Amino acid sequence: MTETLSLYFRPSGVVDLRYQRQILMPEIGKDGQDKLQKARVLVVGAGGLGSPVLTYLTAAGIGHITIVDYDIVTESNLNRQFLYGTEDIGKAKVLVAAEKLRALNADVKITIVSDKINSANSLDIIRGIDVVVDCVDSVAARLIVNSACLIQNIPLVEGGVCQFYGYVMSICRDSACLCCIDYRQEEQQAYTPVIGCTAGVIGSLQANECLKILLNIGEPLFSKMLTYDGLRNSFDIVELKKDDQCGECHKEQTKIFTK
Amino acid sequence: MIEVRLFATFRDGREKILYLDGNDYLHAADVLKYLGIGNGDVAILLINGRHSKPEKDVHDGDIIALFPPVGGG
Repeated sequence: MTETLSLYFRPSGVVDLRYQRQILMPEIGKDGQDKLQKARVLVVGAGGLGSPVLTYLTAAGIGHITIVDYDIVTESNLNRQFLYGTEDIGKAKVLVAAEKLRALNADVKITIVSDKINSANSLDIIRGIDVVVDCVDSVAARLIVNSACLIQNIPLVEGGVCQFYGYVMSICRDSACLCCIDYRQEEQQAYTPVIGCTAGVIGSLQANECLKILLNIGEPLFSKMLTYDGLRNSFDIVELKKDDQCGECHKEQTKIFTK
Repeated sequence: MIEVRLFATFRDGREKILYLDGNDYLHAADVLKYLGIGNGDVAILLINGRHSKPEKDVHDGDIIALFPPVGGG
């Protein structure tokens, strides 16, 4: 069977077949691919969720990806963090990830930030980004990213995993945020139990969500939490209400008002 | 009836969805106690999609959603 060719040209004029299959999709096409090529995405955390997110966004041809992670590769990462191999143990994750991703797709500009995101640096790190994908492993870091994205008015794709379970939700100024739902954890486990394939499912959904937002297609999960149960084979959507008294949303509004 | 939707590890040893008689429970904390879930073990408690505290009143027709921490990355 003959395949219909949809030609995409590199700036040099050379035909590029790398994105051929996704350009064939009516939701993407050549215009959508151009949007992706111009997009700037920040991925916070290059671990179990970050591995699939970074891999699929790089493969899809996002123009500029920034990776934030301060950690080094350890043996216990290797059951789920497939960007790294045994030979990478002891190396900085951002360095190894950037090398692997550049090898996958040299068209994508990869910027690395070898630092822990915190309330002091978060606003600078996310400035100028189109979509932030949060792949961190602590509630404290999630709340910092949530706050920074609201202040800078940047859409945020949130995801989390534990054991065979996970969730994805998207956040913007008009939607419920993590503080609206009072997301908290009294005591965080030192090591979250998780199987690699669950992180793969949730990270893939986060990448999908990021593409939907960048391309303005489909139904992004704003004010919705998509939950995954890998034991009972179910996805559920939970509707979330924005809290009029939310401290973070209110703080963001106050900042705008006083500008 | 109160509909209680459990997520992630809260489903272990329980049903995904339970229906409880609203007359038997005054507050969300009473539902948690019935389920054997400690207040401190709940990361997100939603009543009809809105975040709530365990001391919040519950009524027939409410939908309660309970999430443990699912914060791995």
